[in-house]
Amino acid sequence: MSANTYDAIVIGSGISGGWAAKELTEKGLKTIMLERGRNIEHIKDYVNANKDPWEFPHRGGRTQEMIKDYPVLKRDYPLNETNLDYWVNEKESPYVETKRFDWFRGYHVGGRSLMWGRQSYRWAELDFEANAKDGIGVDWPIRYKDLEPWYGYAEKFAGISGNRDGLSILPDGEFMPPMDMNVVEKDVAKRFKDFYKDSRNFVIGRTANITQPHYARTNCQYRNKCWLGCPFGAYFSTQSSTLPAAMATGNLTVRPWSIVTKILYDKDTKKAKGVEVLDAETNQTYEFYAKVVFVNASTFNSAWILMNSATDIWPDGLGSSSGELGHNVMDHHLGVGAFGKVEGFEDKYYFGRRANGIYIPRYRNLNGEKRDYIRGFGYQGGGSREGWSRDIAEMSIGGDFKDALTEPGAWTMHIGGFGETLPYHDNKITLDKNVKDKWGLPVLAFDAEIKDNEKKMRIDMENDAKEMLAAAGVKNIQSYSGNGFLGRGIHEMGTARMGRDPKTSVLNGWNQVWDAQNVFVTDGAAMASTACQNPSLTYMAMTARAANHAVEELKKNNI
Amino acid sequence: MNRRAVIRNLALVIGSATLLPSCLKNGGTPVVALKHLNINADQEDLIGDVCETIIPKTNTPGAKDLNVHLFVLKMLDDCYTKKDQKTIVSGLVEFDNMVQKRYNQSFGNLNEKDRVAVLTGIEESAKKQNKAKAPAGRNTKPQKTVDANPLFAFYWAVKQQTLFGYTTSQYFMTKQIVYELVPGRYNAHFPVKNLKQA
Repeated sequence: MSANTYDAIVIGSGISGGWAAKELTEKGLKTIMLERGRNIEHIKDYVNANKDPWEFPHRGGRTQEMIKDYPVLKRDYPLNETNLDYWVNEKESPYVETKRFDWFRGYHVGGRSLMWGRQSYRWAELDFEANAKDGIGVDWPIRYKDLEPWYGYAEKFAGISGNRDGLSILPDGEFMPPMDMNVVEKDVAKRFKDFYKDSRNFVIGRTANITQPHYARTNCQYRNKCWLGCPFGAYFSTQSSTLPAAMATGNLTVRPWSIVTKILYDKDTKKAKGVEVLDAETNQTYEFYAKVVFVNASTFNSAWILMNSATDIWPDGLGSSSGELGHNVMDHHLGVGAFGKVEGFEDKYYFGRRANGIYIPRYRNLNGEKRDYIRGFGYQGGGSREGWSRDIAEMSIGGDFKDALTEPGAWTMHIGGFGETLPYHDNKITLDKNVKDKWGLPVLAFDAEIKDNEKKMRIDMENDAKEMLAAAGVKNIQSYSGNGFLGRGIHEMGTARMGRDPKTSVLNGWNQVWDAQNVFVTDGAAMASTACQNPSLTYMAMTARAANHAVEELKKNNI
Repeated sequence: MNRRAVIRNLALVIGSATLLPSCLKNGGTPVVALKHLNINADQEDLIGDVCETIIPKTNTPGAKDLNVHLFVLKMLDDCYTKKDQKTIVSGLVEFDNMVQKRYNQSFGNLNEKDRVAVLTGIEESAKKQNKAKAPAGRNTKPQKTVDANPLFAFYWAVKQQTLFGYTTSQYFMTKQIVYELVPGRYNAHFPVKNLKQA
């Protein structure tokens, strides 16, 4: 075996890449994980994780200089002083927006597993059946039962806290004890139950924060500083979870600064023989070889690698034979919701900063209901008390005002929707060869937007949010509905979808590229629809399932 | 600008750090090296006096004791657009002129009662005109757009950053309220009376 030859190559080190590395190495495969960015070492490199709020020069805010340097990141909450180093350098890695697309990236070991929102929900049976039933996109080649054991497997290792709510729309998993609702959330949950019976539900969020010690990880300390990196390893990330497991096998090599520019396709074997890597520091080119390649570069970059792997046989890229590569860009559309004040409970507060909220699972277009759109949406939210520096009506300045600042303000309740986006063939990404990144590589051009179905859904998302808060006794309710630009959900999906037919899909039911069956794509690119639940847990389950299949097929000499 | 001392150690403005001797100017007041905001030392002092009037020293420390006024200057300097900074600075000038005209002396020389009267007067007229919402919440971002009325823009920006700076100061978070970097637990039924430091 030459120095550059392994059993398996994993491209990317985020949530799905970490899982691929763990599964493949635990099954005995010598594996190299290629990460385009720098290394971030667990705990040691979480440089801001143990700072107090007053230690940040702008107390976590954003400066004009940051706004200038991060023209995309500034569009939403991610741009802030506390974890700026975890977000991609936009000058080095530009992209083209034929239509506005908010692409929030993290190029380093661990990828966005360090900054993710951690909400972890199983999909339901109907989510996998929906495309076939509605005649939208392509039918999922798998059903809930195919993924069910892998969901459990992923949950047990990742550590998901949650309540077993017994809802068919949101299947229960292998949970650690749930986090608590605060007094206002408990009250809202009770009013919900009284008003909606069981037709709508209000449950504690299911989150990849552990509530019990788990392997070498300490349970959540309620700091709510997850996106700085957790010194306790209390939330699932590559660094806290899959990477140590993979390293423990002795089978893993991690190579940071390794931009995979293409997959090397062998037209005789009709398989990939390896990948080409551009060293991001030295600009040297290397080749690595393996029997199996897992593409986990994050949804759109996974598609980029396939598209950039054009050969004379596949001029539009590896996996392009169906004409669907790069198409069906999806994300959850959000930025719609409502909030208001809750009266009472003035003598109650909460102690500790819970890194979790509440969840309202989908209830629309179920049990025979037919809205003027298909599919549905869920809400995330929570109850909290207004902070110290709120406006105090009777006082505006002075000593008494200063003292009053130590009293918490009114209780508020907020819910924000996450809506399903349909797969549209003309929502697409393409290679723009006229624009190059720092390394001279072509960049992606985005041409995707929400359409009628999503726009109609957003009307319900706003109105329902108001209605539900009113039913829960919330006062002074205000609703909002933003523009619904795609990308900002950071639930990127599609562009190399799974399917049953090589003519209409890029991947088969085991996440194998139809055109090169030892290449597996198991991140968001593989998704054939989005459901409305946060998708990362599904990537974990899908990756573990695909890795298991890959090893079985290798043993049978099928790939 | 060069008559003003330069602070190299930004720690000064982010906590209650000891003042470095090199950072003292003639009056003994520390000044911040401003990169973007075009104001003179007197104007800096004026901002400090407004901060101190909003959060005065009582039996507990005031804005100046906690260097909140330096934090305010830093935020005004780094976190507002050029256009907003211009509006804020012209509001500062307007404020100064208004006080001079009414009291025939500068804001800094007014007694506390008059200072409070000046600021509450601005706050009330701004609210009355519904020109701007009072700075709300524990917002980490400056207001998206500052008020078009320079006087109000100046006042709200200083007030918002004063409150933000005060309530995120080490003093406030460790001596006024209960804050722990590592709570270690979530108590969903925490009584409000346990919230303040004894």
